[in-house]
Amino acid sequence: MASTALILHATWEHIVLVYSTLLASILIAIPLAIASLYNRQLASVVIYFANLVQAVPSFAVIAIVVPFLGIGFIPALIAIMLRALLPIIKNTYIGLTNVDPALIDYANGIGLSEWQIQRYIRFPNAYPAMFAGIRFSAILANSIAVLTAFIGSGGLGGIIFQGLIGYNAEKLLLGAIPAIFLAMLIDYSFALLEKKLTPAYMKE
Amino acid sequence: MPTQRLFERIDSIELQRVSKKYGSRYAVESLELTIEGGELLILIGPSGSGKTTTLRMINRMTEPDSGNILINGQDIMQLDPVRLRRNIGYVIQNIGLFPHMTIGENVGLVPKLEGWDEKRTNGRVRHLLDFVSLPPEQFIKRYPRQLSGGQQQRVGLARALAMDPPLLLMDEPFGALDPILRKQLQKEFLEIKKEIGRTIVFITHDIEEALRLGDRIAIMDNGRLVQVGAPEDLIFDPVNDLVSDIVDSERKFKHMDMLNVKDLMTPLDAKYILDGGMNACEAVEIMKDRDIDIGIVFENGMLAGKVEMINLLKCEDERPFLRDITKPMKVFALRDSVATALSEMKMSREHMAMVMNADTVCGILVSDEVLLKLI
Amino acid sequence: MKEYFHEILILWNNHMLTMRTIEHLKMFSIALIISVIIGVGVGVLIYSQPKMASPVLNFLNILETIPDLALLVILLPLLRLGTGPTIAASVIYSILPIARNTYTGLKGVDGKYIYVAEAIGLSPRDILLNVRIPMSLPLIAGGIRIALVFTMGVVTLGGLVAAGGLGTVLQNGIQLYEKDAILLAGLWTGILAVILDLGAGWIEKELYKRYDTWHPQR
Repeated sequence: MASTALILHATWEHIVLVYSTLLASILIAIPLAIASLYNRQLASVVIYFANLVQAVPSFAVIAIVVPFLGIGFIPALIAIMLRALLPIIKNTYIGLTNVDPALIDYANGIGLSEWQIQRYIRFPNAYPAMFAGIRFSAILANSIAVLTAFIGSGGLGGIIFQGLIGYNAEKLLLGAIPAIFLAMLIDYSFALLEKKLTPAYMKE
Repeated sequence: MPTQRLFERIDSIELQRVSKKYGSRYAVESLELTIEGGELLILIGPSGSGKTTTLRMINRMTEPDSGNILINGQDIMQLDPVRLRRNIGYVIQNIGLFPHMTIGENVGLVPKLEGWDEKRTNGRVRHLLDFVSLPPEQFIKRYPRQLSGGQQQRVGLARALAMDPPLLLMDEPFGALDPILRKQLQKEFLEIKKEIGRTIVFITHDIEEALRLGDRIAIMDNGRLVQVGAPEDLIFDPVNDLVSDIVDSERKFKHMDMLNVKDLMTPLDAKYILDGGMNACEAVEIMKDRDIDIGIVFENGMLAGKVEMINLLKCEDERPFLRDITKPMKVFALRDSVATALSEMKMSREHMAMVMNADTVCGILVSDEVLLKLI
Repeated sequence: MKEYFHEILILWNNHMLTMRTIEHLKMFSIALIISVIIGVGVGVLIYSQPKMASPVLNFLNILETIPDLALLVILLPLLRLGTGPTIAASVIYSILPIARNTYTGLKGVDGKYIYVAEAIGLSPRDILLNVRIPMSLPLIAGGIRIALVFTMGVVTLGGLVAAGGLGTVLQNGIQLYEKDAILLAGLWTGILAVILDLGAGWIEKELYKRYDTWHPQR
């Protein structure tokens, strides 16, 4: 059936968009969070900005991107990233800073280098928060990726917008239902992954 | 909805073989205790002795596993707990003023729930704040966090008195305060207690507080009642070492043997002196004027005895001369031992005795005051 | 500079942004009020029926993962185009944060206050109305603030399903590729959302301050 092929293709485009955005977000967010650790000013700017942008509607973010970058895959990716970056930065930063200062003192005392402190103390402590941030961002990216079809990113949103033109209920559902299914799948898989990655001492 | 008053006054609270178990341990075991109307009964004992459980069972915050609790002969298990609690004032150590309500709202909460109109509630709140020495204009609109610990404690007391309950339960109300503030509040509380004249059950772990405030003291240990009695009973007749440990008789009162009556007597104020030649009717007028309940009668410079207002009122109409109706008083010499004097007074159930040097009056000995001077 | 403002004004009027803003805020207010009523109601309900708490919250959590446009679109066959599905979708998203915070707040009231309330003769209903709910207000306000952000997001999407509001301006701007209009409407929508969020944040903080328990939540 043509519609099956259409849906599969749209789903594939959707997944590519979501995961490339997520990957790019992680690659940018984590170094930025670490940098914030060493620069208080940067940290307060990043956190403040993160809180503000969280309040801006996704559709407005997407719209603002258009005059600067035009339409297509890359503008869509950047629009999603503007929203998806922030939960990861914020959660990573909080995870990294929420370490008992006595522990850092002790680590310095026994002669651990800065890198070793990051590797063995701060990061393990930050994992759960970081992971929660990434999970939240993945759901968010999946949600916004439906919307970016409006600026030409393709994916499942594309079918929905075709449905909206002339109000074709069947097309609306053919786009929406796989997107909902995908959201639940992402949530579920991240929940499983989280269970697997949580170190034994952190489990109940 | 307004709840009806369950009792206007307390005649008695009887705890009959009351037990409460937590797991396999008895918090309170076969407790027999009668609290008399109008008295201030202190519950004291080591932590875990069952004092708080006992208190909480009186307003059904905790329900006994067995035994009965009767207020004025009525089983409290037959009463609605909410209604019962609205007839009993409750004050606790950490006060628990609601942080989201102003002082006025905190004190007026139960009256409001009872359906009082705003004007009546407001009047009551102002009266109570005045009563606990917090000027209403200054405090009524403040939030609890804006008050010191001592001020919050006063508000806690005012809240407990909101419905004018005839019974007050107090669980270490001054426990969290610093010693100076505690003394101050105890002093004020004694004044308040005189004015309101209601039944109070009061938990403390501070024996000084107990001796200072209590009409009677009940000592508890391991969920059992060890001894109950007036302060001097516990001091002079402790039933076991725990009681003497708690009232500290060994340490605090051991030097009593070395003290003489002279050291602890109170000078006799001239206002107490009455002449044996006047009649009962005249004496009553004079005593009212002088604001005294007891008079010491002299005739020709010689001690004749004492008269009490209550007795005079009974025979006022017959106008007998005082010299004919005085009661004898115990007399001690300056050098007599305080310990002997107190135990003699206790034997004859007297609170007051004369101190004389040969035929000259030197002062009076008042048993309550002696104890307070000793602690 | 003056010219510049003049141009913005013309653009504003051409796209009827005043009217669109009013439409937007109207939808937003209706959706938020309904969300607060249902959200607090659900919160109180699962507080009084603790067995229901976990399944209800899990279910609402699943709804939360649904892409907003997808949710909006599957409501269309039921509710037709326009403000109906937009408000419904906003409410569906907003119940969770409000219900969850209400539930957490009611449950989390310090036991010592409940103890005192019982001891001075408050019935369970008195305690809920006079102690638990008022003491949970800061947390409930926090939940409403999150709901406010969600609602703003969904209401903006309403433009795509003929609900009017600022989303309509964004949609037309993008379709006609009018860069200036897109930028003006996009920034204005963003600023409006941020202002409302900051306002709600201020209220939340004042409530915490009043109860002397201010600790930043987010």
